[in-house]
Amino acid sequence: MNSLAKASTLSSENISVWFGQRQVLSDVNLVFPANKVTALIGPSGCGKSTFIRTLNRMHELIPGAGLAGSVYLDGKDIYAEDFDAVSVRIKIGMVFQKPNPFPTMTIRDNILSGLRLSGRKIENGDEVVETSLRRASIWNEVKDRLNDQAISLSGGQQQRLCIARSLAMNPQVLLMDEPCSALDPGSTRRIEETIQELSSSMTIVIVTHNMQQAQRVSDQTAFFLADDNTPGGVVEFGATEQIFNGPIDQRTNDYVNGHFG
Amino acid sequence: MSESSVTKPAPVRRKLSAGPLSTGDKWFFRTTSIAANFAFVLVAFILIFLFIQALPALTSQGLPFVYGTEWNNQQDPIVMQIGPMIWGSLLIGAIGVVFATPLAVSLAYLIVFMLPSRLAKVATTLVDLLAALPSVIIGLWGLFVFSPVASEWGAILNKYLGWVPIFQVKSADNGFGGSPFIAGWIVAIMIVPIITSITREVFSQLDRDLINGALALGGSRFSTFRRVIFPTSAGAVVGGVLLGLGRALGETVAIFYVLQITFNINWGQILEPNGGAVASMILSKFGEATQEEVSGLIAAGLVLFILTLGINFIASIIVNRAQPWRKN
Amino acid sequence: MSFAPRPAVQPWARVNTGRRIQILLASIVPILLTAAVILVTGLDRNVALMGVFLPLQLIAASAVGFRAFGRRGVGDAALIVFVVFFATFVLVLLASVVFSLVSQGAQAMSWGFFTQNNRYVSNTTSLEYGGVGHAIIGTLLVVGLTTVVTVPLGIAMAIYLTQSQSKTKGIIRTLTQAISGLPSVVAGLFILSIAITLDWQKSGFLGSMALLPLMLPTIARVAEEALRLVPVDLRYAALALGAPNYRAFFQVILPAAKSGLVTAILLGVARIIGETAPLILTVPINNGTSWNLFSGEIMTLPAYVYNYLGSAFVPSQNRAWGGALVLMILVAILFGATRILSRSKSLKSKPTKEKASK
Repeated sequence: MNSLAKASTLSSENISVWFGQRQVLSDVNLVFPANKVTALIGPSGCGKSTFIRTLNRMHELIPGAGLAGSVYLDGKDIYAEDFDAVSVRIKIGMVFQKPNPFPTMTIRDNILSGLRLSGRKIENGDEVVETSLRRASIWNEVKDRLNDQAISLSGGQQQRLCIARSLAMNPQVLLMDEPCSALDPGSTRRIEETIQELSSSMTIVIVTHNMQQAQRVSDQTAFFLADDNTPGGVVEFGATEQIFNGPIDQRTNDYVNGHFG
Repeated sequence: MSESSVTKPAPVRRKLSAGPLSTGDKWFFRTTSIAANFAFVLVAFILIFLFIQALPALTSQGLPFVYGTEWNNQQDPIVMQIGPMIWGSLLIGAIGVVFATPLAVSLAYLIVFMLPSRLAKVATTLVDLLAALPSVIIGLWGLFVFSPVASEWGAILNKYLGWVPIFQVKSADNGFGGSPFIAGWIVAIMIVPIITSITREVFSQLDRDLINGALALGGSRFSTFRRVIFPTSAGAVVGGVLLGLGRALGETVAIFYVLQITFNINWGQILEPNGGAVASMILSKFGEATQEEVSGLIAAGLVLFILTLGINFIASIIVNRAQPWRKN
Repeated sequence: MSFAPRPAVQPWARVNTGRRIQILLASIVPILLTAAVILVTGLDRNVALMGVFLPLQLIAASAVGFRAFGRRGVGDAALIVFVVFFATFVLVLLASVVFSLVSQGAQAMSWGFFTQNNRYVSNTTSLEYGGVGHAIIGTLLVVGLTTVVTVPLGIAMAIYLTQSQSKTKGIIRTLTQAISGLPSVVAGLFILSIAITLDWQKSGFLGSMALLPLMLPTIARVAEEALRLVPVDLRYAALALGAPNYRAFFQVILPAAKSGLVTAILLGVARIIGETAPLILTVPINNGTSWNLFSGEIMTLPAYVYNYLGSAFVPSQNRAWGGALVLMILVAILFGATRILSRSKSLKSKPTKEKASK
């Protein structure tokens, strides 16, 4: 595993976000240290999914999207003029809420699709496929049918395939936007295990609705909240232990104890 | 996290998608945007070239070109006026729309609300097939099969409803063939599919649960149609009808075979074997046209183009506004 | 576009046997009565249809509706009677077109009709001699050239309308819609004007160019719909893997939209294959076979039909019917291919389809 890229520190500085004229996030400052898992929690519509999309420049794909502030990857602003979106996304991988394997490709081709899509030469493709699938703990389930269509897999397997697909690119940071929300408890548990194994080699940011999940997988937690008709923002940010067991802010306390949201 | 009341400077929005695009992407977007902008070029070219070639006729004929009622190539200077053709096109288009709209709305209602989904698919396919029939085939059928039948209909209308002005004729001896009534039917057949498909799409976007719920509760079909379906879809249907009208005005070959084209204006006696249509007139005169006449025909085409472009433009706006789900 | 699965509306769901008989009676009695009236009085069939059958049918249906549902049943009955009557009317018209085409055109059908040209054929030559072979070749060449030029253009437009974030998309879409209403005769005059201005000779090539503006909107629109049907998630997934837009398109979106794009091409061809007026204005016709699009005369199927249709001689009229049937067969083949494609597509991509519908 020493061929893997080193995990990086990611941080956001004064991030504000707009859709058209409507501001949806205000002044988010967070630091995601290397090899740590950070959970972003909060009620629906508080802007956490929007925020995670600013971290690898997926946000700008939405028409009318606006942004202020900076995101630093190892000290370099990913929104700087000389940093193109493609190389940002190669370094910072992303797993989406719904599993989205490429339906026209086989399992194997899905894993290699990132390399092909970013125009890299594929050497020892078999090795990449095996390593990636192993790291996403799905190798044993699919090793005998690598040439089957990816959509023949179950939902949970599809999601782990998508994780493996991101891992094949060897990202320094992995962003996960509610990766388990469409999955059954068994698949969810396996993905949580995968996340913990992965954190030894990369920085992970995960958006989740599930308090238990945040507690199980993350080292630190940020609580997002948007009051009526105001942009969302971070209410409290700290070690997961502290956020769940001794939150400073009353609203955090209410939320993690299920009093609203 | 600071919740302090210290006022910060307002955040400045950054330029997104900054940074260099890859060469491949540059070409990708450049090429496709050139292709897309070809739409502008095409419309501009059509207007420019038609105008260049229409200019001689337009300058020699002046404004009477669009309202005068004579076309005479024996005279010197030649007289070319297309008033009866423009009026005839509008008349036939109006007749076509009047016939086609109830047919199309009925078909759409049948397909969306009455037929089980398998039969609905068959019906949709049949309507699409009707749309796929080339106009020369409709013309062929119109000439040999439909015209004799429709002439009978005309005779019957004249016999029983002759007291209504539009069903009057100067003399029944002239027969009832070649009338705007028949041409109207022909264009109706050709625009039924387009009105049907737009109406069907609007109908199928209505909240079916609501409608089925209303029916299941013993609400009547008729009141559901009047209270729920009609108000929400009327706008789009009007747009579809206008699109159909645009098609009807441009219909050439099919009308050419079934209409008696004369330069005597027919204001509305739709059973009279006497009518006009800009597009068909162009085709009928083209074979033996002199150079001057070709310019006149191109001028007629320019008028037709502007007319249909205007109608289609309005129609597209109405249809798009009434179908918000189609936007991006 | 697609038919969302839906519970079939079952107007007679709560219908018992008694009412079913009433409905049956209400459907049959007016027909029988009308037939009787025609037989007895010798009334014109058209008059009988509108003056006897329709009112009777309305009364009968209203009576059943009234017995079942009271006053609101009457409105429903009228609605159903009119809807079914009008829809049947359209169906009869369509059937009439197809039937006359097949029955009249069949007279001309023979192997020779497909393979021979009309070089030594006069107005009165028997149908055993001559055929549409040259016109088929000409149509394939002219339409083929249009297709080769228009398909890349139309698909590139669709790509622009779905993949870019430009602000002019709305205008271009509206403009394309407007072009789709371009009268075919104007498309012909447009190319004719260019030819006169630049002093070009009429040829098959001009015909191809005259068909371009008619084909372009169809391809652009259907291709746009096909591309739009590909879930945006897939595009995001590709971009999130570090793909440039063009690779995301060619490796992920294009394969997923393939059958839809083929459908776009087929519909585009079907749209123009029967176009007549533009070809009459720009392509000189002949009776011999020509493979040359760029100079000289060349025959096409629509022009063939047009040419013989106006004739006063029966053999020539039959040639027109025969040519029209061949044209219809070509349209039917294209049309059938799109149906098969759309069916296989909906079978294959079921899991992705529900996402596309939102």
